[in-house]
Amino acid sequence: MLRRKKHIAQNQNQEFSFRAHAWQQFRKNKPALWSLRVMLLLVIIALLAPVLANEKPLYMKYGGQTYWPAFTSAKNYSLTNPKTGQTTSLELELADWKRMEFESVVWAPIAWSPGRTDEANMRYVGPGDPQRFIDANGDTLFMPGRFKHYLGTNSLGEDVAAGLIHGARVSLTIGLLSMSIAAMLGLLLGSLAGYFGNERLRTTRARLWLTVFSIFPAWFYAFSVRSFALRDALNNSGSSFLGQLLLSLLVFAAVIMAFNYLGKWISRGAFLGKIVNVPVDAYISRFIEILNSTPTLILIISISALAKEPSIIYVLVIIGLTSWTGIARFTRAEFLKIRSMDYIKAAEAMGFKEGRIMLRHALINGMAPSLVSIAFGIASAIITESSLSFLGIGIPPDIVTWGKMLSQGQAHYQSWWLVLFPGIAIFITVTVYNLIGDGLRDAFDPKLKR
Amino acid sequence: MLKYIFRRIIVFIPTLFIISLLAFVISVNAPGDPVNALFSGSEGGGDNGQNERVEREKAVLRHKLGLDLPLFYITVSSLASPDTLYKVFDRAEYASLDRLINRYGNWNEISAWSKSVKALRKAVLAVPLPDTSTVSRSEAENALLQRNNCVEIIVSLQFTDDPVQIGSRLEELKKLTAAAFWTNEFRTRLSETTTAFTQMSTQKSVWKTYIPTLNFYGNNQYHRWIFGDGNWLTGKGAVNTEGIIRGDFGISYGTKQSVTRTIKRAVPWSVLMTLISVILAYLISIPIGVYAAAHKDSLFDRFSSVMLFMLYSMPSFFMGTLLLLLFANPEMFDLFPANGVKPVEGYPEGAGFFEKFRISLPYLILPLITYTYSSLAFLSRQMRVSTLEIVHQDFIRTARAKGLSERVVIWKHAVRNALLPIVTVFSNIFPAAIGGSVVLEVLFGIPGMGREIFDAIRTQDYPMIVSVFTLSGFMTLVGYLVADILYAVVDPRITYSSK
Repeated sequence: MLRRKKHIAQNQNQEFSFRAHAWQQFRKNKPALWSLRVMLLLVIIALLAPVLANEKPLYMKYGGQTYWPAFTSAKNYSLTNPKTGQTTSLELELADWKRMEFESVVWAPIAWSPGRTDEANMRYVGPGDPQRFIDANGDTLFMPGRFKHYLGTNSLGEDVAAGLIHGARVSLTIGLLSMSIAAMLGLLLGSLAGYFGNERLRTTRARLWLTVFSIFPAWFYAFSVRSFALRDALNNSGSSFLGQLLLSLLVFAAVIMAFNYLGKWISRGAFLGKIVNVPVDAYISRFIEILNSTPTLILIISISALAKEPSIIYVLVIIGLTSWTGIARFTRAEFLKIRSMDYIKAAEAMGFKEGRIMLRHALINGMAPSLVSIAFGIASAIITESSLSFLGIGIPPDIVTWGKMLSQGQAHYQSWWLVLFPGIAIFITVTVYNLIGDGLRDAFDPKLKR
Repeated sequence: MLKYIFRRIIVFIPTLFIISLLAFVISVNAPGDPVNALFSGSEGGGDNGQNERVEREKAVLRHKLGLDLPLFYITVSSLASPDTLYKVFDRAEYASLDRLINRYGNWNEISAWSKSVKALRKAVLAVPLPDTSTVSRSEAENALLQRNNCVEIIVSLQFTDDPVQIGSRLEELKKLTAAAFWTNEFRTRLSETTTAFTQMSTQKSVWKTYIPTLNFYGNNQYHRWIFGDGNWLTGKGAVNTEGIIRGDFGISYGTKQSVTRTIKRAVPWSVLMTLISVILAYLISIPIGVYAAAHKDSLFDRFSSVMLFMLYSMPSFFMGTLLLLLFANPEMFDLFPANGVKPVEGYPEGAGFFEKFRISLPYLILPLITYTYSSLAFLSRQMRVSTLEIVHQDFIRTARAKGLSERVVIWKHAVRNALLPIVTVFSNIFPAAIGGSVVLEVLFGIPGMGREIFDAIRTQDYPMIVSVFTLSGFMTLVGYLVADILYAVVDPRITYSSK
């Protein structure tokens, strides 16, 4: 019954839906579809990283009480030994979990945390090498199966598998967040350039001049007055700097808006009120050209040399700020097409404001192709991140990343597992995003498909 | 054509300006004081005379580096800060003054306070210590200790902007100077300083910090950095620097030598590796791409497509490490040296270019493979797509119809037109090659620019970082220009006359 209804609905809905068509095209592309699945798997691994690889037990029973050490935010447990009746405080971060005796316990699939030393297996123990375990009595045993280092260890005895799982988190965070920044910038500038082109943004002379001039006071109020707040935040932490920077940007925008309105208000008379043309497209295209000709990796390296404390946030913000050009170009091209379409003319005829037309009508339809660029962008952001951590620049030393593990392997050639596994992880992630990007491009632009 | 190239160069100027501006912003915000980084004389101890000599030498150095100039042509500052604030030498002192201005907004009172603290610092060293003939030895030692304590507090006053801290420190000074040996002159100075502080903290004019003012300076640090301190066009009369447009990039903090010398040694390696690899990539990728397109859906096409896609997604440093692991590893195949570009003992004496090249070749093979493959994958895919596009066009059908052999159709008619898009890609590959070279140069130990910037970051050598950044941007632009010219050469339809 339900199926039949759906069938009828499909028949009735004879209209061609671009998005449905694109999705159909995408689904036909087997590698891309599989990449989408692998990508989802990677995202799930990244989200579940603390459950998949953790030295703390997921669940434990001790002295008749149950605990969930991997999920708690508590720093200490006060445990009462059931035999002696003594109460001891257990520091969760420092505890020697594997040598404690529990009534029952459930370990994470990989019972190691990234960046934690296993003294018994220091100095590059490979996946096939005999691994040692020191039990509570101090005797050296063979490694029990559930504590095995499946993918070996590095020079400090840190588990490679745990590093890989948590490294996925770092890579995907940087890839996705930096591309969201890039997407916002790219969509905004690309749609402005495409929609207004070189002739369509017309405004009064006073308004234009005041807006251009307002860059100085906006800079003053956003950055000069607030320079100490920004500088202190920079020395403090990455996230507080991000907050202060956002506030500054808001102030910046607010001042420009204020001057813009002032300009609107004083636009009277033949001189001040004369209608002039703003070649938005030319400016934005030139800006894209300039950004494209700066060597991004060297720029990131140079800027990360400024921060006192390296932080992931700086890296992802810089990647985001420098990699929006592809998205902007896609969006621009799409908007150039859209703006001559009938529905935009209809919306204009109905007297909607330009902001509304751009946001509610054009952007919704023009956004899809930029997904192609976003997918490729994520791939290259992940490569940039891993190159940086391979060089040891910009990423804090206490965070385990794929690139960092690879560079450890590069320093010690006998330990092939330190090169191969992180390298394959980077390779798979990058391939997956590239394949998705390819699939999307073919789906959105059937002309290119062959 | 010449006109077009000329116009293109004119367009580069704003781009170069922005790149140089970015580099300048980085160098200005670099942590630490360049004067301290470059100062080679001994730091002054407690001795007053020596301290003054060190200060004087540092001031000379500051002038040499142009740090006594304003930052930029236009600066936006508040009404509260005087337009001569940049003349304050000491960076820490400058920062605390700046913060005071931000807090109180009354420059007259702030400068009075700063002057009185400086006077106090001089006065405290002039206070005579009690003679051991009049007081006991332990008392004399105690007095010295007290005075040193006071000196420390006064010095710290110079670099503080927190009113609570200043207040408590002034209180402490007052208590410490209750002892008999302190002169009344010093006590009056101290009370003057205290009044200066109360005046500064009570007569606020914070509103001034919210009024922006624009300042214009013809001679500033940026101008000096770009054009040198002589005539900006001819460079005549330059004393300390000729500016980066004449190739003077300043002095490295690390080697204390001219950055230009280091860069001159590094640039050829980077350019050599990038150029050879890009040319190799073009030479290999064009036949692959064309062959794959001509035999679409053949085994070769499918196999090469998959291989190239995989290569394209492979990060170059992973590829490089794998190659090293396989071919420069005594446990696997020890075919190539793992590091460097020439033997440790250097070239034999009197070796010509070809001799040197022959010696260096084994060192260069692995790096060149790594350099080449990523652009190779990209280019082959691009070439295949553009050939496919051409093959479907009418003039190819015409060529086939007139009975030309498939070979001639593809290699003579199609390829020439398919080359167009791949030439424009040159401008995409070149920046990527320069940027990617950082990782590969570090990995393979090639003494190029990437390696220099990597080392510079480890030693916090900002003049070096900024110079390499600027030069890489410049080289990228040159890459764009070359791509544009090639584009015009390959496609005679394109005329660059202005509309």
